[in-house]
Amino acid sequence: MTDSTTQQTSRLDDVSLRSLGTHVVLYGVALLMAIPYLYTISRSFQPRKYLMDPKPHWIPPEITLEHYQYLLTESLFVQWTINTFVIAGGATIIILVVDSMIAFSLTRLDWPGQSIVMGVILASFMVPYYMNIVPLYTVVADLGLVNSYWGVILPAVASPLGVFLLYQFFRDIPDEYEEAARLDGFSTFQIYYRIILPLARPILASLALFMFVYNWNAFLWPLIVLSDESAYTLPIGLVNLYQGNITTPGLHMAVTVLASLPLFIVYLFFQGEIVRAVQVQGTGTTG
Amino acid sequence: MFLVWPALKGFYMSLHNWDPFVPSESEFIGLDNYIELFNDPVFWDAMKGTIYFVALSVPLLVIVGLGLALGVNKNVKGKRVLRAIYFSPYILTVAVVTLIWSEVYSESYGLINHYLGYVMSDPPGWLTSTELAMPALAFMTVWWLVGFNFVIFLAARQSVPERLYEAARLDGASTWRAFKDVTLPQMRNSILFVVIIQFILQFQVFAQPFVLTTGGPRGSTDTLVYYLYRSAFSQHQYGYGAAIGYVLVMILVLIAIINFKVIGTND
Repeated sequence: MTDSTTQQTSRLDDVSLRSLGTHVVLYGVALLMAIPYLYTISRSFQPRKYLMDPKPHWIPPEITLEHYQYLLTESLFVQWTINTFVIAGGATIIILVVDSMIAFSLTRLDWPGQSIVMGVILASFMVPYYMNIVPLYTVVADLGLVNSYWGVILPAVASPLGVFLLYQFFRDIPDEYEEAARLDGFSTFQIYYRIILPLARPILASLALFMFVYNWNAFLWPLIVLSDESAYTLPIGLVNLYQGNITTPGLHMAVTVLASLPLFIVYLFFQGEIVRAVQVQGTGTTG
Repeated sequence: MFLVWPALKGFYMSLHNWDPFVPSESEFIGLDNYIELFNDPVFWDAMKGTIYFVALSVPLLVIVGLGLALGVNKNVKGKRVLRAIYFSPYILTVAVVTLIWSEVYSESYGLINHYLGYVMSDPPGWLTSTELAMPALAFMTVWWLVGFNFVIFLAARQSVPERLYEAARLDGASTWRAFKDVTLPQMRNSILFVVIIQFILQFQVFAQPFVLTTGGPRGSTDTLVYYLYRSAFSQHQYGYGAAIGYVLVMILVLIAIINFKVIGTND
């Protein structure tokens, strides 16, 4: 009797010790991962004289807004933000409209060559993006779209991911909905617009968020297409500031904070959706 | 139009000494671009750099992501907060990531060297040493991207039926046995997915060396995509750049096949 109780308590201790260990490791990693942010935010408010100090100041002895002020008044930061919004927002909207229409016509309509189109879409998953950048650039240049919003947006729209996700979702919507709607005299477009799209709202929302974040952050393609400083997106603009000579660490940190702020707000509000979009992407492409 | 056509045109271009101004006048040179590539020391340095980067980053990305997911799946307090923190760097653009870490790695006033200064007299320059620059870029990349793998592994772990673990416990299996015989086989598909995705993504590493080290010091952080970018868009050798792109694709397809063979048929 006593034997078994001691054994039980020692096992309990073992379990709780292990659980404590897990907690320490997990929170330790979380702290390590957060440190670069916190440091960045702290430094973005520090006056120049502390920034070059070899000893880091976690809590600045003096707070200044000079870096933010400079960015908002002396640089093209506002213009870059507008560019990024137009490109990320425009690409997202077009992707949603085009991809949902393609997916709808592939799953709900009958026309010859459907399987070929689906085959091309699936095959294009296998084509790594970088294989295409050089010829893609010449295509965009031939169309006269270098240095324009469209030059960035159009290739971004040609992403098979959205079609693939929506295809899977639309395919699983029962035919009865559609038949009932036809009996009520709905046209094909009404079925698309009033039946299928509302049913697909959660997955459309996930896709939209994912695409917005993705296009907001896009780096290589805008770097190639946009040559004029006033046409830059935020990622390109801030690298340009960094590689220019006029900058100080405080400015770099302020620009990273400002450039990430919209995404962090989106992330805070839609965390679940974004994570789900990533998971759907992960399970969708394996399954 | 933006997917299939460029892929075909890219191959066509790679066989030419491409003239960007008068494309129709481009000279057909057959496989000369590829032959030149194989005799190009810069290409091989970039290849070595890329492979080194992949070898450092991919295992860490997979193992750390899996470890965090299995940890959070246990009975841990504050799961939501942990998930939010682990995933959060993933939403940052690579440009922001590199700027943040340029401060952390800085030789004179960086965070790491300040704390290292307590234990060693002469902390290294992370981005100025030929040995350390690439590991530094890889570590930064793990910080940035591990949240993606974490989230996918967490979802996969949560869809493993609990009864399998109960059965394993009844059989007296140790934690390690349960991990090896239940967790790993059940999560094989997502592990395969993450490994392949990470190979493909990390092989295409570009912005980290482009922004932070410009390939240096002494070419130690040069990578294939960065070389492709320089060839095509700085030196305007479009045919040569397209050829690099095609070699890159061959490698990626090969890696995907090997991965499928190794992990996929491991019954």
